[in-house]
Amino acid sequence: MTKKMVFVDTSKCTGCKACSVACKEWNELPAEKTQLLTSYQTQKNFTTNTWTYMTFIEKYENQTMNWLMRKAQCFHCADPACLKACSSAAITQTESGYVVINQDKCIGCGYCVENCPFGVPKVDPIKKKSSKCTGCIDRVENNLLPACVQTCQPGALAFGERDAILAQAKKRLAEVQKTHPKAQLYGEKEMGGLTYLYLLLDSPEVYGLPANPTVPLSLTLWKDVVRPVGSVAVGGAAAAVVLGVFANLWRGNYKEGGKD
Amino acid sequence: MAPKAEAGNQAPPRIVGDQVLRFSKGERLSHWVHAVSFFVLLFTGLGVYSSLFQPAMAIVGGIHVAQVIHRISAVFFVVVVGLLFFVGNPRFHWRWLKFTFNFTKSDLKHVSAFPKEFFGGHGNYPAQDKYNGGEKINSLITIFGTIFVTLSGVVMWWAPHFPPSLVRWAYPVHDLSVFVMTAAVIGHIYLGLLHPDSRVAMSGMLNGYVSKKFAKAHHAQWYERLKNEQQNL
Ligand code: HEM
Repeated sequence: MTKKMVFVDTSKCTGCKACSVACKEWNELPAEKTQLLTSYQTQKNFTTNTWTYMTFIEKYENQTMNWLMRKAQCFHCADPACLKACSSAAITQTESGYVVINQDKCIGCGYCVENCPFGVPKVDPIKKKSSKCTGCIDRVENNLLPACVQTCQPGALAFGERDAILAQAKKRLAEVQKTHPKAQLYGEKEMGGLTYLYLLLDSPEVYGLPANPTVPLSLTLWKDVVRPVGSVAVGGAAAAVVLGVFANLWRGNYKEGGKD
Repeated sequence: MAPKAEAGNQAPPRIVGDQVLRFSKGERLSHWVHAVSFFVLLFTGLGVYSSLFQPAMAIVGGIHVAQVIHRISAVFFVVVVGLLFFVGNPRFHWRWLKFTFNFTKSDLKHVSAFPKEFFGGHGNYPAQDKYNGGEKINSLITIFGTIFVTLSGVVMWWAPHFPPSLVRWAYPVHDLSVFVMTAAVIGHIYLGLLHPDSRVAMSGMLNGYVSKKFAKAHHAQWYERLKNEQQNL
C-alpha cells in the first residue's frame, strides 16, 4: 500500500467533536466523564480510551478573539520515536505510514509514553498495555475512510494518497493565507513527515505543539550508542575471561594447585 | 573452619593462627546481598531490555512478575548495603570506602602490570595494601555503578512523577551503568572463581579469613601492618 495522508484543515473545523465520538464508536472505546476546562474544551489530554479530542484556544489580538480549534490524535510520524523506544518490538510501521501498537506484544513499560514528543501514547496501569490512535488501519486497509474523516461534516478532514493530499493542502494554504497571514502547514517535514498533516491558522506553539519536534537525543544515544558499545564491552570482558582460562591452562597454572 | 573471633561492629584480632581476617560478617553480608540481587536485577531487567530475552521470563512467571521482582530486589540491592554502612557494620564499611578512594602510585603500578597476571603470567608491582589497584577500580565501578543505576532506576520506577525530559535520560544512564557493572562482574567472577592465582581469596568472602600465605603474597603491606598492630597491642 502506498503512503497515505490525512489533511486536517483547521480553517474549516467547527469544533463539533463528532470526530472524537466517531472514533470512540468505531474503536469501541467507552465514554469518560469529562469536565469543562475552558469555554469549550472538555478533554485535557489523551487517555487509553480517548484517542482523539478537540482543543480550543482563545487568542485575543487587537481586541478580537481568534478561536483556534484543533483535532488532536497520533500524528503517525515517518520517523517515530515511540517505535525506536519500544522495549518489546510491539510498535511497527505500515507501508501506508501508520504507526501501530501490537497489543499482544506490548508489556506496558511506558518507554513510548516518555519518548513521544507529542505525549500521545498512554499506558493502562491495570491492563499494562499502551494505546493510541490506530489511524483506523483496519478501515483504511479495507478501503474505508478513517472513522473521524468519514464523519467530519464541515470537510475539515481529507484522506488520500500522500502526494495528492499534500498538493491539495498547499493549494488550500495559499487560499487561507489571504485572510490568515500566519497560517502554515505542520507536518510536511516534522519527524520525517507526519501522516496527519495540519493546516494551522497560527504558529504551532500557539496550539501547544512543539515547533521543532525531534527524536529525543537521549533516545538516539541510548539505542544507537550505549547499547552497541556496551554490548561490545561486555562481550570483550567475556572473551578476555575465556582467553584467560585458556592461557592459564596452557601455562599449566592449574596443575600446581595455584601458586598462592 | 575459620576461627571464631569476630562479632558485630567490633574489631577482633586480625591474625589468628595461620589465618588472617579479611572481611567482617557485615562486609560479607553486604557483598552477597549485593551480588545476589545484582544477578536477579540483571536477569529480570533483561526481560524489559529486549524481546529476545522475554521468553526466559517464563522462569519467574512472565514479564510482569519479572518487573515486580526487579523492583523488590532493587530495594534489597540498595537498602541492605546502605543500612550496613550506618547501622550494623559501619567500621568496616567506611574503612573500605577510605581505601577505595585513596588511589596511589603503587595502585597504578599494579594496574599496569595486572594484564599479564590476568592471563596467567607474572606481573611486577610493589607490595599492595589491603586492596590492590585492580580491586580499587572494581570497587569504584561498583560504587558509582550502584549510584547511577539506582538514581536512574528510581526515575524509571516513578516515571509519571518526573518530567519526560528527565525520564528520557534515565534510560541510557541505567543501561550504561548496567553494561559497565556487568563487564566488571565478568572479570570479577573470573578472578574469584577461575583464576588459579587469585581464586584462593574466595575464602575471605565466605568465612572471612584468608591464609597467611595468601596475605603475604598478595597484600604484603596490609599483612605487615596488621602484624605490627597486633604486636603493639
Ligand atoms: C536500585 C536499583 C534499581 C532500580 C530502582 C531499577 C529500576 C528499574 C526500572 C523501573 C526499570 C524499568 C523497566 C520496567 O518497567 O520494569 C528498569 C529496567 C532495567 N533494569 Fe533496573 N533497576 C535497578 C538496578 C538494576 C541493576 C543493578 C541492573 C542490572 C544488573 C538492572 C538492569 C536493568 C535492565 C537491563 C533494565 C532494562 C532497561 C532497558 O530496557 O534498556 N537494574 N530498572
